[in-house]
Amino acid sequence: MPKKSKTSPVVWLRRAVQTAFLLLFLYLFLETAFHDGNVVGKGVTLFFDFDPLVLLVTWLGTLKVPASLWLALVTVAVTLLLGRWFCGWVCPFGVLHNAFSRLRKQSVRVKLDRDAYSPHQRWKYYLLVALLVGVLVGVNVSGWLDPFSFFYRALATAVYPSANYGLQELFTWFYDKNPGVGPARVTVISEPIYNFLRGRLINPDLQPQYQWGLLIGAIFVAIVGLNFWRPRFWCRYICPLGALLGLVGKNPALRLKQNPELCNDCRLCVADCPGAANPQMTDGWKPSECFYCWNCRSACPHGALSFGFQIPRKDPDEKTSE
Amino acid sequence: MKRLLNNRFFRWLYNFVAPPGDSGIDLGRRAALGAGVTGLGAGLLFAIHPLSGKRSFDPGLIRPPGSVTEEQFLARCIRCGECMKVCPTNGIQPTLFEAGLEGLWSPVLNMKLGYCEYECNLCTQVCPTDAIAPLTMERKKQTHIGTAFFDKNRCLPYAFGRPCIVCEEHCPTPTKAIWFVEAEVINDQGQKLTVKQPRVNPELCIGCGICQNKCVIKDQPAVYVTSAGETRNPENQILLSASDIYG
Repeated sequence: MPKKSKTSPVVWLRRAVQTAFLLLFLYLFLETAFHDGNVVGKGVTLFFDFDPLVLLVTWLGTLKVPASLWLALVTVAVTLLLGRWFCGWVCPFGVLHNAFSRLRKQSVRVKLDRDAYSPHQRWKYYLLVALLVGVLVGVNVSGWLDPFSFFYRALATAVYPSANYGLQELFTWFYDKNPGVGPARVTVISEPIYNFLRGRLINPDLQPQYQWGLLIGAIFVAIVGLNFWRPRFWCRYICPLGALLGLVGKNPALRLKQNPELCNDCRLCVADCPGAANPQMTDGWKPSECFYCWNCRSACPHGALSFGFQIPRKDPDEKTSE
Repeated sequence: MKRLLNNRFFRWLYNFVAPPGDSGIDLGRRAALGAGVTGLGAGLLFAIHPLSGKRSFDPGLIRPPGSVTEEQFLARCIRCGECMKVCPTNGIQPTLFEAGLEGLWSPVLNMKLGYCEYECNLCTQVCPTDAIAPLTMERKKQTHIGTAFFDKNRCLPYAFGRPCIVCEEHCPTPTKAIWFVEAEVINDQGQKLTVKQPRVNPELCIGCGICQNKCVIKDQPAVYVTSAGETRNPENQILLSASDIYG
């Protein structure tokens, strides 16, 4: 048996890109605040502008769309070529799910048992259909489940207020008690940190507080916790934006290919696939579930899997297309 | 023509529309139809139930300045919370059922937790879907989000004959929307004295709510804002305009 393959450099690149987008999301979140000249930070709605679900429901519901939202067509164009690449590399909420999925330690056997494709993954498409029909008859509740809205709302009304309170209390406690040994006191370190964070992360003048922040926060924690039940539970079963991108990118040009001569059906790729996209190709690869995370290629000890650009052909012998 | 259609792009386009083999998403006609009917049914139910945002005149449903009409607002708002994050007074809060079931977590101003700062239009700058339309500072200062009312049973000069001018001092409009009538009253000690009793000018009041926020009576302020008179809704007005009277 060949040695277990090393983590592919593409996987490391993806992790770097994901981290960058998550940090950008958090940075823009903090920038959504008062700046000199009574303006907010630049581009604070950037992620929403690139969200095709927001574009679609706004257009369907009102036929009048703010100009910046048309940027979402870029995401659509990318998805036509690269499938749900957006979900695996860009979406900051996806990054969070990705990270929490990895905290789940399971044996490969259990993963193979539980994490393979489930027909219940179709629920997200049904949810999308119901949301869009609702918009057509005048009820737009897509924001409850749009991933950026969901994440941002939870950050704004639950996570950030509690973090602000906790940090403020912690540094105040350090300041008041000033524990330490002899001349080595905690404030020597904590005060410079506090002075750096004040105004950037901590707002001592106004503790934000929101009615129902607890409810919104509880739902957020529950959704993130579901990653311990199935990896990327939200992205697999719920996310309406993921469903929309799955429909747009159902036949992408960037495709997973398998060399049948190298594959010995060990199914290690399945155990590592966060989207349950059938990378082992029995019953066919499922591009609409694939996040292009490169895990399968990285996991394959035989190098049987690869991604490549290709025009899908109606060739029954070719296993790359279904 | 044939050569053009054999072009790689067109072949890909053709294959995208009619993909080879299984598409990978087999929704099933019945289940997809079921989902559509669910959406339709839920939409219709939302539209007719008595809590519906379109017919509710919840007095506490004070939307941020620049908000479009309620029907348009609910069609646009995606409950992202940008306006709640950016509000410098913490006044913009997520609703529960004030805007109907379907309005859950849309923004509403709570004047006990904050108020609408006069020199600020940040929430109109951040809304990604224009549910809160962009307003220049000049227009924002003239946009009514509601109107203040006094509760004479609780307001100190009215109820107890004791002097208090806190609300008037905070009122931010250039000509103050809260003004006084001097009245001779008998106070809670039985003494005769003259106090200033506050009134609201509904033409000047923009409903910013700082009076309610700063009122010395904290649990149930003696001055409070309701959505009546909001610029965005011609059916929720107090004053008749000249055109209403003279056609």
